[in-house]
Amino acid sequence: MEYTPGFRVSLEVDVLTIGKLASLTDVSNDTLRYYEHEGLLEPAAKSPAGYRLYDDASARRIHFIKHAQQCGFTLAQIRELLVLRSRETTCCGDVRKRAIEKKLQIESKIKAMKAMSKALDQLIAECANESQPVKECAIIAALERANTRARVQKR
Amino acid sequence: MKVVLFYSPGCSECVAAQARLRAAAEEAVRGIEWREVSAVEELDYAVELGVLSLPSIVIDGELVFTSMPSVQQLRDALLERCGGRG
Repeated sequence: MEYTPGFRVSLEVDVLTIGKLASLTDVSNDTLRYYEHEGLLEPAAKSPAGYRLYDDASARRIHFIKHAQQCGFTLAQIRELLVLRSRETTCCGDVRKRAIEKKLQIESKIKAMKAMSKALDQLIAECANESQPVKECAIIAALERANTRARVQKR
Repeated sequence: MKVVLFYSPGCSECVAAQARLRAAAEEAVRGIEWREVSAVEELDYAVELGVLSLPSIVIDGELVFTSMPSVQQLRDALLERCGGRG
């Protein structure tokens, strides 16, 4: 994980308010509260006045969450990864399994998107005459045919 | 009948169960073709068959189990697909 220079400075700070943590990790206060609501982040302590207080580990946790999100993990999956991360019996293979599953899911989505793109290519090619009235539009007709086919198959 | 078990390399759960499932499958269906495939090495093949979680088991091209089944569950699925012929 790469840390920004600002974050390096933060490692010398023991206690962070929610606002400081938010600015150091480049997320909003609301996001931090949402992470707490979703069980991803707990304040390290509360001040006598009841304000949330965080530490360096909280900042590292936020960076972990953001990085995992960039890799396509959902918050529920990140929660699982955080549990694995804190469990002493976890081995790297357990985390790798989840990374492979995520890769499978992403590749599957890419495959579906490519199929959609190909279907659009076909529709675009069928609509050779752009000046035709919409009633004679090949794209509209093809979509209507697909709709009818789906209804027939459902019966 | 062809069975493909997709696994994640280094998955201790898979290693422990694979041999048991394979023995049960070979006992249930004579001449069964059993393959154990690393999802990392054959990712495209896994995607083609709709595998999204590991371990997964594909029987004759159909994704049947998306987590490790018990020996009994696998035996039942195999026998159902071969009409009870052993």
